[in-house]
Amino acid sequence: MQALYCKYRLLTSFLALAALLILIQSCGDDQVCEDITANDLRIGFYTAGEGGVDWTVVDSLKAGTPDRPGQFIYDRIYSVSSLELPLNPSGDISRFVLDFFTTADTLTVSYTREKHLLSVECGFTMFFEINEVSHTTNLIHSISVPVEYVTNNLDEHFKVYITDTDNSEK
Amino acid sequence: MSILRYILLILITAKSSVLFAQNDTIYHPALRIGFDVSGPARQLVEPETSTMELSLDYEWMENFFAVLEAGILNVQIEKESHIYQADGKFFRAGADFNLLGPQPGSLNDLVLISLRYGFSTMDHKAPYILIPDPFWGDHRSSLSPEKFRAHWLEAGLGLKTELFRNLFIGWGLRGRLLLSKTREPEMEPYFIGGFGKSNNNTSLMLHYHIAYRIPFR
Repeated sequence: MQALYCKYRLLTSFLALAALLILIQSCGDDQVCEDITANDLRIGFYTAGEGGVDWTVVDSLKAGTPDRPGQFIYDRIYSVSSLELPLNPSGDISRFVLDFFTTADTLTVSYTREKHLLSVECGFTMFFEINEVSHTTNLIHSISVPVEYVTNNLDEHFKVYITDTDNSEK
Repeated sequence: MSILRYILLILITAKSSVLFAQNDTIYHPALRIGFDVSGPARQLVEPETSTMELSLDYEWMENFFAVLEAGILNVQIEKESHIYQADGKFFRAGADFNLLGPQPGSLNDLVLISLRYGFSTMDHKAPYILIPDPFWGDHRSSLSPEKFRAHWLEAGLGLKTELFRNLFIGWGLRGRLLLSKTREPEMEPYFIGGFGKSNNNTSLMLHYHIAYRIPFR
């Protein structure tokens, strides 16, 4: 009797886990491709002064690339504390113009590309490893790169330090 | 967590049944040939990925089993935005320990702790890749065939129950830790044969087996 009861438990557990497997696998396909293929370069704006590093807001901004004049990634946005810029998946360098209206800076990013298969449904996306960044210094003072891998994580890759005009005037 | 709780409950009840059992069975070495049905079952849900796996175990000491597992992997993904193909083989070697111990009568049910070393080799390629980009324009390319190898360790818990004389069914939950893989491949594989999805260095997979035991007497 004990043996039969043991067998019954084992069989029940087998069937229960089979059902669980089907449930888990059917849930696995429920993905949103747009979210997981979003691998833009994420930038935050900061000021560096005597009091340390502070998060800051740029009054207004236009962003585009000199390679595609007349097309804008952002066409006049206001009170900007962070920015997402798409890196060119077909080249190893992307150039951006950040137009702050009173002045503008050019940002040049070079990187290594890696194709990554996300899933059957979502297909491939491009991940990037930043090699070098250079910029003009009209409003941008300096740039640090805390995260050099641009993937579909929501990391901030660049800290862009804006020239502290108040301190400069002093 | 509920899965772990369930497994723990099974182990406790199985162990308690041993306390009631009398040690009246005689140890007979036996070879068991198994087929992993989770591969074909997975193909019903994910038709792009097919795996076939056979296992061989031998009870070299009472309640200790030497185990060999081998299988093949085939991935064929054809979508509007990409084509990906992979062919590979995988092997595992290790041991199982039966927690249930000797059982009364003719019962041959097993509650197993498993340890394995695994190795996988595969060729994969992506003849067509389209990465849409609304600003820069779509990127079209391909990736030529590339070899990929991986080594891993795994540990698991499982059950086998004797449905009919010498015919077993069972399941096993395996946790895997990748030890090494091909360094800096041009493309990470979608699925490592015998290991699972290659998103990170660990994987957890459930296997279902049908096995036939060949008694040596």
